[in-house]
Amino acid sequence: MPRQAARPVITRLLQRGLYGAPLAAVAALVVGPLAVMVMVSFWTRTGFSMTPDFSLAAYSTFLGSTRLDILFRSLWVAASATLIMLLIAYPAAFLIARRVRTDAVRTVLFLFAVPFLVNYVVRTFAWTEILGRSGWVNTMLLNLGVIGAPLDWLLYSQFSVYLGLITAYMPFMVFPIWLSLSAIDPRLEQASWMLGETPRQTFWRITLPLSLPGVFAAALFGFVGAFGEFAISTVLGGTGYQLLGNSVISALNVINYPLAAAISTFSVGVMGVLLLIWFRVFDLRLFLGKIMGRT
Amino acid sequence: MTRGVWLFLGAVLGVLYLPLIPPVLESFRAGDGFIANYIGIAANAVLMEGIRNTAVLGLTVAVITPLIALSVAQTLRAWGRARLILGLILLPLFVPGVSMGLATALVFQVIGLEASMVSMALVQILWALPFATLLLLTVMAGFDRAYLEAAHMLGAHPLRAFIDIELPQIWPGILGAGIFSLILSFNETIRTSIVQGGSNTVQTYLWSQYQQVGLTPPLYALMTLLIALTLVLVGLLAVLDRRLLARRQIDAADLDA
Amino acid sequence: MTRKDWSRLEGLINADINVVAIGNSPSAVVNQLVAGGGRRAFDVINIVGGMQQPLVDADLILPIEVDRLSHWDANHYIADFLAPGTPGFDFIGYQDTVYGVPTVLQADSFAYLPDETGELDSLGALFDPRFRGFVALEDNYTTAGQKTALYLQQSGLADIDDPSNLTPGELRTVIDFLIEKKQEGQFRLLWSSFEQAVQLLVSKEVHVMDCWEPMVIVANQQGANVRYAQPSEGYLLWAMAAYIVNNPTRSEEQLEATYQMLDFMLGPWYGATITDMRGYMTNPLAADFARESDAFDQATAERVAAIDEDVKEKFEFGGTWQNRWPDEVDLYEEEWQRFKSA
Repeated sequence: MPRQAARPVITRLLQRGLYGAPLAAVAALVVGPLAVMVMVSFWTRTGFSMTPDFSLAAYSTFLGSTRLDILFRSLWVAASATLIMLLIAYPAAFLIARRVRTDAVRTVLFLFAVPFLVNYVVRTFAWTEILGRSGWVNTMLLNLGVIGAPLDWLLYSQFSVYLGLITAYMPFMVFPIWLSLSAIDPRLEQASWMLGETPRQTFWRITLPLSLPGVFAAALFGFVGAFGEFAISTVLGGTGYQLLGNSVISALNVINYPLAAAISTFSVGVMGVLLLIWFRVFDLRLFLGKIMGRT
Repeated sequence: MTRGVWLFLGAVLGVLYLPLIPPVLESFRAGDGFIANYIGIAANAVLMEGIRNTAVLGLTVAVITPLIALSVAQTLRAWGRARLILGLILLPLFVPGVSMGLATALVFQVIGLEASMVSMALVQILWALPFATLLLLTVMAGFDRAYLEAAHMLGAHPLRAFIDIELPQIWPGILGAGIFSLILSFNETIRTSIVQGGSNTVQTYLWSQYQQVGLTPPLYALMTLLIALTLVLVGLLAVLDRRLLARRQIDAADLDA
Repeated sequence: MTRKDWSRLEGLINADINVVAIGNSPSAVVNQLVAGGGRRAFDVINIVGGMQQPLVDADLILPIEVDRLSHWDANHYIADFLAPGTPGFDFIGYQDTVYGVPTVLQADSFAYLPDETGELDSLGALFDPRFRGFVALEDNYTTAGQKTALYLQQSGLADIDDPSNLTPGELRTVIDFLIEKKQEGQFRLLWSSFEQAVQLLVSKEVHVMDCWEPMVIVANQQGANVRYAQPSEGYLLWAMAAYIVNNPTRSEEQLEATYQMLDFMLGPWYGATITDMRGYMTNPLAADFARESDAFDQATAERVAAIDEDVKEKFEFGGTWQNRWPDEVDLYEEEWQRFKSA
């Protein structure tokens, strides 16, 4: 293979700049705030501000209280909600990529984006009109004679929180999965059929694995959305359904920055550990595909 | 397309659209009546300013974020330190919005950046960036570098190769990243409100009104207008796509003839 | 606040008024001022009072030079209800210095739907098993928590010294009581926004609700039949205070404009407008002004006067002054979290 022609120094510097500068700036603006947060979590609270210190007071407050349970509940809710969302988003994306007429694809994708035009708090709040005791669902069921009294569990319950989370974040997930699916070379699937595999086998062996980058991105979008949530739990949760975001805001409401920082740092730490395990267990190439080069 | 497909997609979209109906209804039945509510939007100066700011911020974020995301994604591929860069990009996603917003605001203070449209744009870009980057990585995962190598062997300059070969293939991802960033910017409330200084966006305004004094009918009217406008645009897009496809089929038929 | 209010002021002074809406909670305010660079962006912060201690300690607000406010002396509400040494002073002052201009005074209790519950006259209605599942509380330990404490004290169910400043033991008792009620299914939800509260009343999702009076007014405007109770235990008294932000880069000119605005807010036109809009009592000049001025019609003037009388009666009756920053505030937050996760 012929060697690359030597490129002038300027071009190489430009290239390094083009690659490096944005990344460096982003890194600074990501690492900076994170570092501040971690630092503050070790400071002591004095009255209404703080003094730089190295103390574990905030952490012991956090770990010794119900807040730790709230963190784990948030993890559980986010994970289970993401799973449910994937089970809806994947078939939807699959249908759009494989069954919807080509000229209608863009339209359908945009239709998924339209709900975002309404402020998400208003959207969340709209559910109370739909699920309330005198809301649409109850009224309809009562009129049809299906139930004798309004269903209380429709609203201010686990059900409503999950419904709120799913309808808020699932649309985010359809697009990345669709992107992945539509990028799969159809000849790979055709080759599989020609070699005698059934459509189902083709799906499990060829299509699904090749769509994993999109699934990974989608799962992340969904999980991140649900994990950091505080408005849905406040509006639809009822008698104090607490998620991570609520806990942080509550600490901030008494101007306890170190505690808020400690809660945040700890949860980032937990997520970091989970992410590391994920990286270890799953071959990154599954998710980054050809970016990592050929096997 | 089979009926089953339509049924499933229709059902999903139906549930997603349900919460849009109450605000639309409110805009018609509450307050001083239909027309007055809509005129009320223009009469509310703070809201109009918010609309302006939201539009400016949205466009800025939608254009800049995919560019930065592209650079980051390309860097990840070129330098091969995937885990490090990926981790760096993903980490801020897991920090609760309030904490990240506050910490970023403090960093801004330290570097001397005043609370302004610039700080709001920056905060939103930082928020949208992981999403945009992931989308680009998703689409680049299906793109084989061999094509670039082939172009190179044929004597093409790297930039030329990128523009002619790679860009067309990853274009859906870039466009998607731009639209995604627009949506994220449009919806962003909590981080933006911390660095807003004296300016409002539609979302920060709605959030504070909602908390403290309740929403007025003109606000619902605004939302209804937005929905109507977008649905019209989507409808136009649908018609356009249909015509394009028909034209392509006619052209193809011509070639065969 | 809509533009129309401020144009009147802008005509009087040489400045533009820009209103930005932020939240009422301590964190919203401090976040804006400290982290968000709000010190340079804001001149006046108008929120529920009682926040002086954290704001002054963090050097975020300036003392008020009352001599620069022409309407200060005429406002006898300040002397009547907010004098130094009384709990009311905690809403505008700190360590004997005045920091806030009292723009609103009000007495809170709870709302109920008389068609569903009949006449109610005690805070105990919030905990009455007859209304199980149809009660809502505000997600706020300084309102809902304090009203509960007031009820427990007055009904003899708990040994509480001062509902506005609970000791750790007393606090735990109050929270235990609330948790017990929650687990019995007494509460439908905890509300946290104005819009939500109004909807709860209008849709009859709940029949008894701890909330502020403006919600009752808005709900009734939307066709509901809601009444604001007059509990035998007393009311939760509070005031709104406008603070001057400590902006080191502010010019003398701007400071003068700021004082003029504060004076305007103590003035009769602002007072009458706010009373009409929100149902709050503002200043003594409002009712007379409304009656005499052309800016307000007869019906509005009568309304303003009626509201003023009503609130003054409530203040006479008494209750407990809301304490936005109790001594044990950290414990309050912790215990409230315990209540919410139970």
